[in-house]
Amino acid sequence: MITPMKITLALVRGLLIAALVAFAGFPIYWMASTALSVNSELYSTGQVPWLQIQNLPALASELLALPLGRWLMNTIVIAIGVTVLSLALGSLAGYALSRFKFRGRGVVGFLLFMTQVVPEALILVPLYAMFIAMGLLNNLLGLVLANVGFSLPVAAFILKSAMDAVPYEIEESALIDNCPRIGVLTMIILPLVMPSIAAAAVIAFFAGWNEFLFASIFLRDRSLWPASVGLASFIGQYETPMSAVMGAALVFSVPAIVFFLLVQRKIVAGLTAGAVKG
Amino acid sequence: MASVASGRSLSRAIAPYAFVLPPVIYLGVFMFGPLGRQIWMSLTNTRIINPNAGRYIGLRNFERLFSDSGFYDSLRITALYAAASVVLGVMAGVISALAINQPFRGRAIVRAILLFGWAAPNVATSLIWLWMYNGQSGVFNDIAMALGLERINWLTSAEMALPSILIVTVWQTAPFVMLVILAALQSTPEEVKEAARIDGADRLNVFRNVTLPHILPSVQLVSLLTAVWAIRRFDIIYLLTGGGPLGSTSTLVVKIRQTAFENYELGMASAYGVIGLVLALLVAAVHFIVERKRAQWMAR
Repeated sequence: MITPMKITLALVRGLLIAALVAFAGFPIYWMASTALSVNSELYSTGQVPWLQIQNLPALASELLALPLGRWLMNTIVIAIGVTVLSLALGSLAGYALSRFKFRGRGVVGFLLFMTQVVPEALILVPLYAMFIAMGLLNNLLGLVLANVGFSLPVAAFILKSAMDAVPYEIEESALIDNCPRIGVLTMIILPLVMPSIAAAAVIAFFAGWNEFLFASIFLRDRSLWPASVGLASFIGQYETPMSAVMGAALVFSVPAIVFFLLVQRKIVAGLTAGAVKG
Repeated sequence: MASVASGRSLSRAIAPYAFVLPPVIYLGVFMFGPLGRQIWMSLTNTRIINPNAGRYIGLRNFERLFSDSGFYDSLRITALYAAASVVLGVMAGVISALAINQPFRGRAIVRAILLFGWAAPNVATSLIWLWMYNGQSGVFNDIAMALGLERINWLTSAEMALPSILIVTVWQTAPFVMLVILAALQSTPEEVKEAARIDGADRLNVFRNVTLPHILPSVQLVSLLTAVWAIRRFDIIYLLTGGGPLGSTSTLVVKIRQTAFENYELGMASAYGVIGLVLALLVAAVHFIVERKRAQWMAR
């Protein structure tokens, strides 16, 4: 039965959803609109609120004038490095926490949890000093090493909770056949927790993709900058056309947004598992 | 046989450490070593010109900190920022989740759009909001002018800077909250709701007595995460205002960078960091105490 009450409720809900969509979607839309604007317009007559697709070729040539490809390449190298190392170390920690009762287990769990409340800025200076000594300053490897400290524990928690669900009998027969533990982990357990590996990989990858603070301090050469630092360098600088900056920001965001949308459920499950298991 | 058995028990005793040592050593070198060194540095007068020649000065940095009004300002700003991002971010996220919980046409697209803020990289987020907040050609002031209002100094006035940053924070945090709450809502047992309705409960009552208790643990969890992220957050605040104007947005974490790289006082910078860490740990401790209480209560 359709009552006036129900109609009002549906209307209110519709308006609420419209408001939420406007709030959430507008900044990204505006980024696209700015990217497709003519720069003289932006500061004189004002920004045109719709998308001027006809300006796409002009935007493309503006973007080509920036070292965007190189920055994105550096970003990808950092992100892949963080992912690989986090998964390798995280699966070892996750397996140990899931399969063994050992002295110090609680301490290890607590240390992993601790990393999640440490502000990155707090270890910035000692890492800086350490990287000078190790020759890792101005080096992408240093950046990877600094970031893994934060994403390895997340990977460990995600993989631990997935491994907890794998019955012990599955690995038991392999152990009886004298298969080494590390073989059990890599050949039997890891293939069974593939979805969780994917979740951990995505989280680590985007931690690397997002990385800014360490990169802005550790990397001196422009040629080593990831896209985040390159983009931030435009702040307060007036020579670069705003449309190019927004175009570059869009190029930097779109892969992240698309990928996040594809795997969001897994990320949420992973992050909340990591927080609870501390 | 016996030797095989003892060999196995030996390997069983060593095995956990063989797995756990590489990650633990890694964290020791790249996380806890630096962290310990930084905490130690908060007890020295280290300056950036002589990073290795700092002398132990006991708690003097903290004494200075506690007698400095700038410290209380940054503590207040951090607490305010964290509390407001939890309240506003969680509220916006829960409302979004409730709004799109029931199926409707185009829900997948709406949901995707609602997730933009969470998925966009922080630096890109900062750039677009910086541009929208721009005093001269920013869209927000264009809209304000069109409505016949005064220009607003979003990021350049001491009263508006923190609220402006909070709006960005809510834009960024609410989607994550929404996803978590949505998952909880969709696992709410339909039968219980149905039974309540048959017993004559109206919508509000069903929500209060069935839905709300069911999503409460998730709300608590995302509140913890939001609070810890707010205390740690650096890039958005730093890129939007750099801690200004007049220090109105300098949280403890922003203070670390200013004190270390603008005033060159590493010892003092570490002291700020230690306070930030303690704050985050306190939030986490409260979460775990509440969590334990609930577990005991459920077990009864």
